[in-house]
Amino acid sequence: MIPCTEFVPAYSQLFKTLERLGGKAAVEAFCRYLSANFLNNLRDLVAANGIRGCWLYWSRTLSEEAADFTMELDEEAGAFSIAMHKCPSKGRLLAWRHIEPYPDYCWHCDLLYREVFEPLGYSYEIDLSQCDQARCRIVIKGKKQ
Amino acid sequence: MKEIMHRQAAERVYFHQDFHGALSCGIEYLHAHYGARAVREYLREFALTFYAPLRQAVREQGLAVLKDHFERLYRLEGGEARFTLSADELVICVAACPAVRHMRASGYPVARLFHETTRTVNEALCEGTPFVADLAQYDPQTGRSVQRFSRRTQGLQATVPGRTS
Repeated sequence: MIPCTEFVPAYSQLFKTLERLGGKAAVEAFCRYLSANFLNNLRDLVAANGIRGCWLYWSRTLSEEAADFTMELDEEAGAFSIAMHKCPSKGRLLAWRHIEPYPDYCWHCDLLYREVFEPLGYSYEIDLSQCDQARCRIVIKGKKQ
Repeated sequence: MKEIMHRQAAERVYFHQDFHGALSCGIEYLHAHYGARAVREYLREFALTFYAPLRQAVREQGLAVLKDHFERLYRLEGGEARFTLSADELVICVAACPAVRHMRASGYPVARLFHETTRTVNEALCEGTPFVADLAQYDPQTGRSVQRFSRRTQGLQATVPGRTS
């Protein structure tokens, strides 16, 4: 059994395997599949609660992941953001010196969530320019409540 | 309504069991698109690289290292496991796999080859060591299992990368 605390290196290896088998397109195809088949809880929360669904979803997941973050919800403006000060996943990948992480590990966060939000009519932006320091920023805007 | 939440990593323990569902999804995808062999090669490669320090410790200190590793793992995940250790054999009886239990409870599909996260990973943990791993029993519904690590008999190959069963 692989414990959930070692999921991140397992996924990093999965991305490497997919890229070896089918190039970057294989990683992208898998992320779309994962978004469609695994993120229904996020999709359902946003469909039922609007932009607040983001708050409800990430309040739980980021707390369980022991992330270092600031999350903001403005329902009147229809906006939600996460400033990730230290991503627990990327932080761990960078800390394990005996493995070589998949170089575009953070790319999946772009693909996964974009696939949820854009079909629901929201815009989704992610700034990965500092992901080599386990920092990123997500901004989601959409339907005003 | 406006809300702001600040959290620091130190406020919580890193423990997100939904990751089991995501791993299961990845295994099922790999299986469906690239076959069972790709799943086993993926998990073997993961275990050989990520657990390289653990394998080194097994080479140097024997099966007690694996017992410590699995005791920590099942304690962390809230799994009930019984360990029987001798110089030549470690047997782990797991009442129910915590990952499978979480996925069943949360409604996540369990990949057809999810048991390979035990079988293939355990076999890879033993590569290059004096031991071999055997998944003696496994119940796909609950993940209840009997995992055996035993001293390699002379003449047995140290690696089994070509296995396709």
